[in-house]
Amino acid sequence: MTDISQTPALAPGGGRTMERVRLLLRSRSGLTGLIIVVLLAVLSLVSAFGLLPFDPLAQDPPSRLQPPSAVHWFGTDQFGRDVFSRVAAGVANSALISVVAVAFATVVGTVCGLIAGFYRGFSDGAITAVTNVLFAFPPLLLALSLASVFERNWFTIAVAIAIVYVPIFIRVTRGPVLSLREVEYVKAAKSTGQSRMATMFRHVLPNITSIIIVQVTLSLSWAVLTEASLSFLGLGTPPPAPSLGSMIFEARTLVTIAPWTMIAPGVIVVLLVVGLNLLGDGLRDSLDPRNRGKR
Amino acid sequence: MFRQLLRNSVLRRILAALGTLLGVAIFVFLMLRAIPGDQISSGLGTEAAALTPSQRAALESYYGLDQPLIVQFFSWLGNIFTGNLGFSSRAQTSVLDLTLAALPVTFELAIFSIVIALAIGIPLGMLSASKPDSFRDGVGQVVGLAGLSIPAFLLGTALLAILASSFGFNPNGQAYATLFEDPLLNLQQMLLPSIVLGFGIAAPIMRTTRTAVLEIRSNDFIRTARAKGVPPRRLQVRHVLGNALVPIVTMTGLQFGYLLGGAVVVEQIFSLPGIGRQVLLGIQQKEYALVQSTVLVIALAFVIVNLLTDLLYRVIDPRVRAA
Amino acid sequence: MSTARWASLGALTATGLAFALVVTGCSAPASDPKPSAGAAGGDLVIGVTSDPDTLFPWKATQFQAVNVLQNLYGTLTEFDEDLNVVPGLAESWDVSEDGLTLTFHLREGVTFADGSTFGSEDVKYSLDAIAAEATAAVARSSLASVTAVEATDENTVTLTLSAPDAALPANLAVINMAMLSSDDTEEGLNTTPNGTGPFILDDRKASQSITLAKNVDYWGDTALLDTVEFRVIPDESSIVSAMQSGNVQLAVFDDPLVAQTAEGANVEVATTPQLSYHALQLNATRGDLADVNVRLAMQCAIDRQEVLDTAALGEGEVTGPITSPAYKSDPDARPCPERDLDKAAEYLKKAGKEDGVTIKTIVSQGEYATSVNEAQNLKAQLADAKITLDLEVLESGAFVDRWIAADFDAAVALNGGRPDPDGMYGRYFTSTGNLNKVAGYSSPELDALFAEGRQTADPDKRKDIYAQVSENLEDNAAWIWLFTSYTYTATASTVDGFVPMVNGSLQYLRTTSIK
Repeated sequence: MTDISQTPALAPGGGRTMERVRLLLRSRSGLTGLIIVVLLAVLSLVSAFGLLPFDPLAQDPPSRLQPPSAVHWFGTDQFGRDVFSRVAAGVANSALISVVAVAFATVVGTVCGLIAGFYRGFSDGAITAVTNVLFAFPPLLLALSLASVFERNWFTIAVAIAIVYVPIFIRVTRGPVLSLREVEYVKAAKSTGQSRMATMFRHVLPNITSIIIVQVTLSLSWAVLTEASLSFLGLGTPPPAPSLGSMIFEARTLVTIAPWTMIAPGVIVVLLVVGLNLLGDGLRDSLDPRNRGKR
Repeated sequence: MFRQLLRNSVLRRILAALGTLLGVAIFVFLMLRAIPGDQISSGLGTEAAALTPSQRAALESYYGLDQPLIVQFFSWLGNIFTGNLGFSSRAQTSVLDLTLAALPVTFELAIFSIVIALAIGIPLGMLSASKPDSFRDGVGQVVGLAGLSIPAFLLGTALLAILASSFGFNPNGQAYATLFEDPLLNLQQMLLPSIVLGFGIAAPIMRTTRTAVLEIRSNDFIRTARAKGVPPRRLQVRHVLGNALVPIVTMTGLQFGYLLGGAVVVEQIFSLPGIGRQVLLGIQQKEYALVQSTVLVIALAFVIVNLLTDLLYRVIDPRVRAA
Repeated sequence: MSTARWASLGALTATGLAFALVVTGCSAPASDPKPSAGAAGGDLVIGVTSDPDTLFPWKATQFQAVNVLQNLYGTLTEFDEDLNVVPGLAESWDVSEDGLTLTFHLREGVTFADGSTFGSEDVKYSLDAIAAEATAAVARSSLASVTAVEATDENTVTLTLSAPDAALPANLAVINMAMLSSDDTEEGLNTTPNGTGPFILDDRKASQSITLAKNVDYWGDTALLDTVEFRVIPDESSIVSAMQSGNVQLAVFDDPLVAQTAEGANVEVATTPQLSYHALQLNATRGDLADVNVRLAMQCAIDRQEVLDTAALGEGEVTGPITSPAYKSDPDARPCPERDLDKAAEYLKKAGKEDGVTIKTIVSQGEYATSVNEAQNLKAQLADAKITLDLEVLESGAFVDRWIAADFDAAVALNGGRPDPDGMYGRYFTSTGNLNKVAGYSSPELDALFAEGRQTADPDKRKDIYAQVSENLEDNAAWIWLFTSYTYTATASTVDGFVPMVNGSLQYLRTTSIK
């Protein structure tokens, strides 16, 4: 069960990127997460550039339901399609949707959070009200309703998921911004006549970057799970584009005669989410010394 | 006087909650109508092509689809205040009755899931925190990570397939029995779904416990108590766990709220007639009143749970009494 | 450490409890009691993926609703297992010399479930209501030729027709033509069905189950089963699990893989061909498709068996337009019985489109299992002939909207079939048919043929006429008919006497018994 409103407790800080990266690489889990994510990213790129051993959509009925072999590394499914290629394409698909969704949510959410926290007043009230309304919806139901509104393709699904996660980013940025407003040098900037928007972007934003980065990795893992769950319900990526969720859905009937059709996408989706979570944890540790070892 | 009232934070919270609910009502109303298709085409499918214009008009009036949107919205909202949540023509029951039947199912599932999650999460969290960065800690972390990463639909599907085909265990294949009708069957039917959901929520609870315990451990008053010679077990429970309760309760309340929102996928896989399934069916069949009212009920439940958690929070920790 | 000890203790207790629950669950098979003697008695559980969306027969189109209603209500005529039209509530009927008068002699002593008697006034009421636009009855167009209905006496009803309609007796056998009591209203019937069928409603739990009990006052042979429960299990593989554990004794599947996993020690699976057909509908009123040569090029570029093999694993048969056994089309009676890319190129040249054409095609997703795979294979095959299928995969709500509005060049569709060819295609391919807009094709020849088919009741003549209709449709490539697939009826070995029907009807529940 995803917990989309758990926000990392971080104190904002600035600079020292190299040291942070070194800390990340030193943390066992962060490193593991990074390796996993990089491997799967490479797999997605391989798929995106069409370098897969088989076409994920090509059917070959004579070779249906074959167990893993040297030719078909993860075996074939009920239509003779190569499971490995489909899984790789599924990862690419999940990656695409999640990245776009989280990018969208990050930009919109951060900007709104900044505006709400910095300008306060009416814009704060309005943005907070919208955030509360969106939060009151069960996330999966909201995503599937939104995804049904427009013709379903990877982009509209990404937007639907993005809308579900925008409130988190708003909440995550608004808090620290509220306290940062009162910090000395921000007040000083205001008094020197710098426009509020410039202050916002120049002084406040860099300080909350670390929080945003952690939230991004966590949101990526939630987005992957949401897309997979939507596809499982038949309301996600429309076929024939392979999706890890729909592959698992189709494998339900096959699990007793051809378990590899469920094991392969299942293991990969878990691996992807684990990698992103570990990376997120590692980032959180490296970006805030106070939380080191206290995950 | 009015301003004084507004300053009262509890009242403010309630007003904000009502405002949120209104926002939810408007949002879901509009969103539903943006989805292509309506109850006529969903009910008749392609046969709807054979309708003559006056047949279609008759059907639209029957389903209340012919009135202007504003009228539809306010008549629905107005009816809610009189307890009429709408009518489902598919089920031929009022939405209120449907919801009253479905809510206890999801509620029961949520409770069992939370219980399992707490039973797994808290001990594991304490185990992890007892010796940070040790093997024990590693085990706890791995279990927590697995819970967060294994999708509920994968776990549920795999468990059901394996248990049903290898051991013939499939109580969910029988008609759903409420706790009062047949307690044994009901518990059996709730077992797998609660485990699947509980496992997923155990992770955040475990992490919260671990963090909270570690933080409190290093606090002065614990060291003082230990120095005073308080036996370690009492220390653990009374002092450490007692203070860690605050964040754990908050986290639990949050998860409970989300569970109420319908563990849709689990209810689908295990054929549990809960709230999540009700909303999903309503969206598929384009039964607007059903979805709108049910979503509103879910949002209301979520808001109430939040308020209660907040209150509980203040009761447990007297330091947190300020607005 | 105490924490560790607690944790393990807690874990052990919990696991123990869970284990106990599982063990008690394992040992309990179907909780339905078995009958003590003979073939009569017993309760049957049928696994279905959703419950009926309506209990009002005149508006029911979803098969879950139709399946249940067929057992609750009666119609004037019925189909037997070979799809011959046989007497139902009407014991017999006569057609006048000129074919303009149809007289039904009703069965006597028939009662509705509430005890009231069934008579000619109920028939008149029902037929008039179905024909009325305000009722929004689905079968209204089947009564297009009926100008007047008269209850000549207690047990006789006379229909006056504007033109002979040989298809009418068959069209009266569908559940959308159910005979309702003149005292009942739609609202009332939606909660409490009141029919003349072999079963009556026993219990209903919305979204969970609907249970029927045998109607002891049924005019025919009383049903053998005591109760039939349609239990809602949304997931098909969960239905299979339920059959394997003995909780469910009968289920109908469309997916051959699911059927395969269901087959086992105590579950038998029967394969039945269906009347419904998969087709690539073409809209001959739009763009390039208006030229018959383009359509014929498409016909020649497609190997139907390949579509069947890749999309449905070969589970089905290649078909022509008419799927009803009595009038079945010869799938090879068309310009291109086999794939012929040369001929396809020739046709395109004749149309002046040697460089190819692009056809915007809509496909539904989620409605039935094979839609997208069919579309994909069609796209691949047509690409070889320089015909590009521009696929739009739509969710069912959006697909239905577009289909109804005929807003497509081509559509990959699964359409229902009917035993009588006029009932099946009259609406689509006559210029006055209410689905002609969707069909996108009509011609004076077809209009004449359909009219002729309605004129004569002679079965041999009609076979000949509809063979011509079929040929005409294929020669003009009005649509591209692909294949019919199978339906799989899984029954527990304790179930006896159930006959799956080609039109998907579950009416033989009345002769089913459980050992």
